[in-house]
Amino acid sequence: MHILIFGLVNSVILALLASGFALVYGVSRLANFAHGALYILVGFSTWLFLNRVGINYIGSIVLSILIVSIIGGAIYRFLLIRVKGMPDSEIIASLSIGIAIMELFRWRGFISEAYMLPPFIKGSVNLLGVMIDWQRLLIIGVGLAIMVSLWLFTHHTKVGLSLRAIAQDKHASMMSGIEPDRTAVIALAMGSALAGISAVVILPLGNITVETGYMVLINAIAVCIVGGLGSWAGVFAGALLLGFSQILATALLGPHWQMVVVLLFIIITLIIKPSGLLGRQKELEERV
Amino acid sequence: MERRKERLDRGIKVRTEGIYAISSWRGIAYMAFPTILFVVGLLILPLVVPTMAWQRIIVIACLFALLALVFDFLTNFVGIVCLGGAFFTGVGGYISGLLNSAWGIPIIFTIPVATIGGALICTLFLLPCLPIRGIYFAIVSLMYPLLFARVIQALDIFGGTDGLPGLSTFPNIWVELYLILPIIILLTFGLKRIVSEDFGIVLRAIRDNDQAVRASNINITWFKTKAVFLGSAIGCLAGAYMAHLYGWVGLSLFALDFSIFPIAATVVGGGGTLVGPVIGAFILAPLSEMLRAFGPLRVVFYSLILAGLVIFSTQGLLPYLERKYHQFERWTEV
Amino acid sequence: MKVKALRMNYGLRLFLVSILLILIGVCFLTQGGALAQPIVLGVPISRGYPDGVDAERGITLAVEEINAKGGVNVAGKMRPLKLEISDTRDLEPGVPVAEALVAVERLIIEKKANFIIGGPIRSEAALAAMDVLSKHKTVSILSAGVLSPAYHKRIAENYDKYKYCFRTTGSVIPMIGGAVNTFESIRAKKGFDKVFIMVQDVAHARAAGTSLKEGLEKKGWKVLGYEVYPTGTTDFSVGLSKAKEGQAQYLIPWFDMPEVSILMKQWYDMKVPALPIGYIHALQDEGTWKATEGKVAYSVVLYAKAGSVATKAIPLSEGFVAAHKKKYGMEPRSEWTSTSYTVVYILKDAIERAKAVDPEAIISALEKTDLMGTYGRVRFDHKSHQIIENGDPKETAVGMWAQWIDGKRVIVFPNKIATRSLELPPWMK
Repeated sequence: MHILIFGLVNSVILALLASGFALVYGVSRLANFAHGALYILVGFSTWLFLNRVGINYIGSIVLSILIVSIIGGAIYRFLLIRVKGMPDSEIIASLSIGIAIMELFRWRGFISEAYMLPPFIKGSVNLLGVMIDWQRLLIIGVGLAIMVSLWLFTHHTKVGLSLRAIAQDKHASMMSGIEPDRTAVIALAMGSALAGISAVVILPLGNITVETGYMVLINAIAVCIVGGLGSWAGVFAGALLLGFSQILATALLGPHWQMVVVLLFIIITLIIKPSGLLGRQKELEERV
Repeated sequence: MERRKERLDRGIKVRTEGIYAISSWRGIAYMAFPTILFVVGLLILPLVVPTMAWQRIIVIACLFALLALVFDFLTNFVGIVCLGGAFFTGVGGYISGLLNSAWGIPIIFTIPVATIGGALICTLFLLPCLPIRGIYFAIVSLMYPLLFARVIQALDIFGGTDGLPGLSTFPNIWVELYLILPIIILLTFGLKRIVSEDFGIVLRAIRDNDQAVRASNINITWFKTKAVFLGSAIGCLAGAYMAHLYGWVGLSLFALDFSIFPIAATVVGGGGTLVGPVIGAFILAPLSEMLRAFGPLRVVFYSLILAGLVIFSTQGLLPYLERKYHQFERWTEV
Repeated sequence: MKVKALRMNYGLRLFLVSILLILIGVCFLTQGGALAQPIVLGVPISRGYPDGVDAERGITLAVEEINAKGGVNVAGKMRPLKLEISDTRDLEPGVPVAEALVAVERLIIEKKANFIIGGPIRSEAALAAMDVLSKHKTVSILSAGVLSPAYHKRIAENYDKYKYCFRTTGSVIPMIGGAVNTFESIRAKKGFDKVFIMVQDVAHARAAGTSLKEGLEKKGWKVLGYEVYPTGTTDFSVGLSKAKEGQAQYLIPWFDMPEVSILMKQWYDMKVPALPIGYIHALQDEGTWKATEGKVAYSVVLYAKAGSVATKAIPLSEGFVAAHKKKYGMEPRSEWTSTSYTVVYILKDAIERAKAVDPEAIISALEKTDLMGTYGRVRFDHKSHQIIENGDPKETAVGMWAQWIDGKRVIVFPNKIATRSLELPPWMK
């Protein structure tokens, strides 16, 4: 039973981490390697607002998510826009911006165990014989809520529909008056906000470290690759697959096999079906 | 009054195109000067640096230069974006280290064996992924070193997280330096030669349009395999050299830096030139040392420099220098 | 378009020129300011990590104290100490160890460091650095990290080559010996005997885990599980559930990664009826209580060396903790602050007795070291240069077990320096 419950929690965490990355990639075909940096940026800025500036918890969360989405949009508008369409340069540029942000925190001394966010609801509950804390249940709730609201947003609002249009056919949507750069800015701002939301719900489980940023990036990429880059259902499938396989590997093989299993999944998926489990197959683009 | 800049070839460049170059000493000098500058510059570099520690840094820059060379060769001439630098160094280093620590085989044999054997292993692992294109291949090659490091850690083999210390090292710093420097020069010009021969033409054709090459009844996987073997041999050589440099092998031979650094060096030096990434490595490795005084801040500087170069100029140093050498610019009125 | 391209080009030039200027500035900065004949202490540590910062603080504090008193007396001449701290990044994942080795080499060659103290902190880097140190014949005393037993083994096996290396942090083998005795005395008091071991996937933790398992099983304990977690794990629920189902009474974690605070939070939230007691490096920090909102309560943390929490049994620790609090506004965070503080005094003592700074004289002086530090009496084993530990703080160096009670770290073991007795969490009773 605990495998089922913690596997689910783990999968939702992975899905949350990947959602922002997947959104940006899906809309603008831009692999935002600064994702992990934006994630810890929210963590640290919330901590700063809460403990140094003295704003209440909800206020600091809202403020930091706002700030990070502005930063995310600005990164695209002023920097990444110049290298648009060159995948290698995009990745190098966004990764180096991300590393710069993360290492800036390390330099400023954000490196002790003292950086932690308080959970929203304290305490734990007995669920079908497994003790689980409220925060983890909340993560499942938030994860599902975000997925549903994103679906509603992309299917029923004008902005959301234009995002999807750009993702599906860039040229046709440009002809119908949708500007790709504007949608990309929106996508990056939303992606950053998603990274922020996942940060504030997940970070209270542990502490905020600079390395978290790198881990988040690797996990987000892993989920997106296994599930299929640019596919929403793929993110879900990938997260479930990786989330449960991690927990199963821990339970059956021992915890030190956890990462090996994940890496094997990525490599095998890429070799067999590079577009991922549920990615749209573009045979000619991905293999010879 | 509108002005614009125009750029023209120097007269001497035009005169030295083709066979007429050898008709005058000046023409020959013009042609040979960059090459001689590069070779002589590399060879005397160890003599002009202030301390022995900097000579060590040059050796390390050499190893990074090898990795950058591989990256540039595979990316810009074969069309395989390979981030497997760490994979090569790790495999090469561990083979060399194991041979040396388990059976006491001397360096003279371990490095060549690690180079060839490591290249075989790397190629074997990369073989199934060769048909994959672009970013997908890049990610697979990035994941392999992580996987290997985790497996070694999980199985606790080859010294586990402690590594294998106490391998034999080179007799002195001069051997270290003047063994690797000629190798670099040789490989740089060797690769330059290879890419301009028939083999290289096929490789570049694969990069441009693999379907067309396939349609001409050429087995592209076989050509790619050969290219990857060549690349991983050079990478494994760097790894084996690294192992004996400090007499030590450990998990950090699979470190991500070995995969990322070559990209940076290529960006700085200029992709598609082979010489450029080497120069890039010789700029970046000492730069990283100089920035050490900043402590943790130096990674920030480093990545900002990289981001700045990628975003504001995608050209690289060598193409820029080449242009200045061969062409001049002037303002003209429109 | 053309004009724009050119302007961009100027931006780039400006950018490059400014970087060049910064670099030149750095070169000047690093060269200025030399005192008359100082003794240079090279400190290669990972400054981007708490461990490195902790060690840096201890060393800085001791050096300032010594310099305030005029410096070190070398054969009648007072020479000040000069610190050269270099960032090795050796604790960061993804950074090759060569980076740390270059740092050590540059400290020796360029900064003319007479001694290397402090790090490198990661075992892998420190083991590799031994060859660099022996090549340059530079005496080094490790005082942060590196608990791997391989270190002393190499010195003992090849004394002539590695005699330049000393270590005060201790190795896991004597630590485990002490730990097993501690567990025995807890069993005598509380009567529990079922343990669940969780260790991090690094050499020293694995060595600790396996030898602890053997040691405890030999004494008749029941080891319900032994799990190895890779560095950076953020979920411990499976292991904790197993421990809970098996009705373990002690949870023995052995971790030096920061994510281990997640383990403690999960333990508290799942109300696992087992007392966490082990080497949990991240929980040594005084600030942990506030950061985890008290979820570390009742967990017992092993410090490789005592001294970072004041105790009357070791008089020096009280002065050290007070001085640290005065300078940095907090109590010492981990054991490395205490060890790194003492290491400077060990070196000062050795230099004054040797009346010289040349390696051979210092080595024989260090081997005869016998002084009181913040963690008891310091003496080195002559063969392996291992610090002699586990006993009376008046006779040997000691580690300590501190329990988190009401937001304070209180020493519960060893009995000689304990200030309070062990308590159990309410849900275990």
